Amino acid sequence: MVRQIPPLVFAALAWAALTLTAVAQAEETPTTRNPRTSPADVAAGAKTFRSHCAPCHGLNGEGGRGPNLASGVFFHGSSDLDLLNNISDGIPSTEMPGLFYSSDRVWQVVAFVRSLGAGKGAGPKVDVASGAELFKSKGCQQCHRVNGAGGRLGPDLSEIGRIRSVEHLRAALVDPNADVRQRYWVVSLKDASGKSQEGFLMNEDSYTVQFIDLGERLHSVSKSGLKDYKVEKTSKMPSFKESLNTSELDQLVAYLSSLRPKGGTQ
Amino acid sequence: MKRIWIASAIAALTSVVAPLHAQLTYERLLKSEQDPGNWLTYSGSYRGWRYSPLSQMTRDNARKLKLKWVYQMQTTHTVETTPLVADGVMYFTEPPSNVLAVDATTGRQFWRYRRVTPKKANVCCGQVNRGVAVLGDRVFVGTVDAHLVALDAKTGAVLWDVEVADYRTGHSVTVAPLIVKDMVICGIGGGEYGIRGFLDAYDAASGKRRWRHWTIPAPGEPGSETWPGDSWKTGGAPTWVTGSFDPEQNLIIWGTGNPSPDWNGDNRKGDNLYSDSAIALDADTGKLKWYFQHIPHDVHDWDSVQVPVLVDDEFQGRRRKLIYWAHRNAFYYVLDRETGQFLMGKPFATQTWAKGLDEKGRPIRLPNIDPSPEGTYVWPGVQGATNWYSPSYSPLTKRLYVAVWENQGLYRKGDQEYSPGNRYIGSVPMIDLPDNPGHGAIRALNPKTGDRVWEYKLQTKPWAGLLSTAGQLVFGGSDEGHLFALDATNGKEIWRQNLGGIIRTNPISYQSQGKQVIAIAAGNSMFTFELGE
Repeated sequence: MVRQIPPLVFAALAWAALTLTAVAQAEETPTTRNPRTSPADVAAGAKTFRSHCAPCHGLNGEGGRGPNLASGVFFHGSSDLDLLNNISDGIPSTEMPGLFYSSDRVWQVVAFVRSLGAGKGAGPKVDVASGAELFKSKGCQQCHRVNGAGGRLGPDLSEIGRIRSVEHLRAALVDPNADVRQRYWVVSLKDASGKSQEGFLMNEDSYTVQFIDLGERLHSVSKSGLKDYKVEKTSKMPSFKESLNTSELDQLVAYLSSLRPKGGTQ
Repeated sequence: MKRIWIASAIAALTSVVAPLHAQLTYERLLKSEQDPGNWLTYSGSYRGWRYSPLSQMTRDNARKLKLKWVYQMQTTHTVETTPLVADGVMYFTEPPSNVLAVDATTGRQFWRYRRVTPKKANVCCGQVNRGVAVLGDRVFVGTVDAHLVALDAKTGAVLWDVEVADYRTGHSVTVAPLIVKDMVICGIGGGEYGIRGFLDAYDAASGKRRWRHWTIPAPGEPGSETWPGDSWKTGGAPTWVTGSFDPEQNLIIWGTGNPSPDWNGDNRKGDNLYSDSAIALDADTGKLKWYFQHIPHDVHDWDSVQVPVLVDDEFQGRRRKLIYWAHRNAFYYVLDRETGQFLMGKPFATQTWAKGLDEKGRPIRLPNIDPSPEGTYVWPGVQGATNWYSPSYSPLTKRLYVAVWENQGLYRKGDQEYSPGNRYIGSVPMIDLPDNPGHGAIRALNPKTGDRVWEYKLQTKPWAGLLSTAGQLVFGGSDEGHLFALDATNGKEIWRQNLGGIIRTNPISYQSQGKQVIAIAAGNSMFTFELGE
């Protein structure tokens, strides 16, 4: 039997995770180092990870039900000992269970998790400032908000570097339709009076739909009585495949990858 | 001062003792269908109908349903509890493994049992609990650390506490126990941890174990030939949802869960008896009388943990003891309850894994449906076409009501090595496809043919069971948070209320101060409704 964890619980857990981060940062950093870091250990850790951790964290730690572990950012403590304890004991008040393994075997998992973030946590070594300029000049801010500035039609990107890998960010810029989250599916409807409306899906149940229109107005509409109603799973975001050269694409990805919450890094 | 205290105590005792006075005997449980003011077992009766003979609420007046009371639990875990009501007191669990007794009229608490659970209790899918059992002056609850506990029904004091299994090896008890005679029947969870499943019976008075029925045979026992090597030791087949009881035949009929590892069957080639099966056990000895395996060698995690619905009726020309079973694998089955013989079966939801069922009920598998390293798309998805939440059968409409998922899953296959207490699943399935989340429905089936009579469509996939009533209503809920009442004859919605939290449990009905009440948990709260003026 496997069952799903409700989104609201995850939201609560995410909040708890952020709260606990602040506490963890205030404590003294332990100095215990991982004794099992050879390539063989990493390989053995990968095997354990794929059996026990990947159902929530993704095959390559990219995240899913659980947080992205490939970003090099850990919100319940970033030291080797923190990781050992969290993997070994689980994390209280979250869905993260513990492993009943020897320390050696858990250290191997720690080694594998570290290998996920190696070279990826900081994003490509390119000019982040230029990427920030591109973000403005290409009009990204019209729809995306960063640290309180910008539009609300697309995802808020203030912490996008924490939750998305560099590869995922690049793919999203080149082919926005490849992975459109349900929250950004496009709702179009025509009401009983014949008036048409369009916006981005925020919530939907059997009887009503909630969306934000292109003027950033919130709507909650009863489905009964609508003349026309459809939800399209395509993105409104343009592809930057042709409008950015490789170097610019790297810069923009670097900027997006740099958008992370303050603190909490290794 | 002392006199005032005594007077207060007497007044308090008078108000409390009255509803708790009646003795809750096994005979009352046997006749629970003639006692509709209470809800005494998980499914409302031993037959697994989840049907209330109460008829105050009807299709004509259900629009007047209004809130009676709410009890907010102290938990952040998903609430899956089905409440019981016995003589004015409602008993339900608060996850992980706490128990509450409240006044069924007001929702005010009598007592709360708080279970301190270990940090490392590994439950596959959340630290949940589906409810308690009651007998005499005792309440019985299973715990996520795999204990069974008897509590004093009047105070919540622990009377006995026994270990069912070692939680450190992935065992847990999330099932609501079932009372049979003077025994507490208790299942086990752990199908994702490579346990060897079983069903237990405990003496209700002492907590001593009367029998254990292993759901996977040991070498040399019938069925052991379906497990190569040592795979039987870690083969799963848990018993995590409450079954039914046939007193006439003295048979406990229970569903078993998936074989382990879930999505990689390479090391367990064979039928893997008695995983994904209906098993019928002699209630006194726990001996297997018959079995029917819905899915030999399951590699999709489609447990047979639906509540067996026991009905006596005409079927194919003669009166028979039947079992109706809408399965997680998207097929609906009718079985003979005396022998386990397969009588008929057909899909009740979209499925792409089997051409059909043969004359013995064995699935005729289609090619290329097994999990693969790159992923295999199959209908239904990992959570199936229905799951653990209860169906309902109404003797008035003679319809079986089922909460249904229309969904597809992506099944992956990976390597797996067993180690005690760790996940033993064999892959990383994709439960919800981002581009195709599917939808849900409440469906009424003609249980003799499996044909769909009506459907009430839902945007999302429901995790809530159903209750039918003598007022020709069907109550159900959704993950959207809506509790609704449908016309049992045609599925038309009569009433609904947004409860503001996901509904992942089953509704019940009981009577309070002469009025019919509906109760169901949503979010972290227990809600009750009655008719307004």
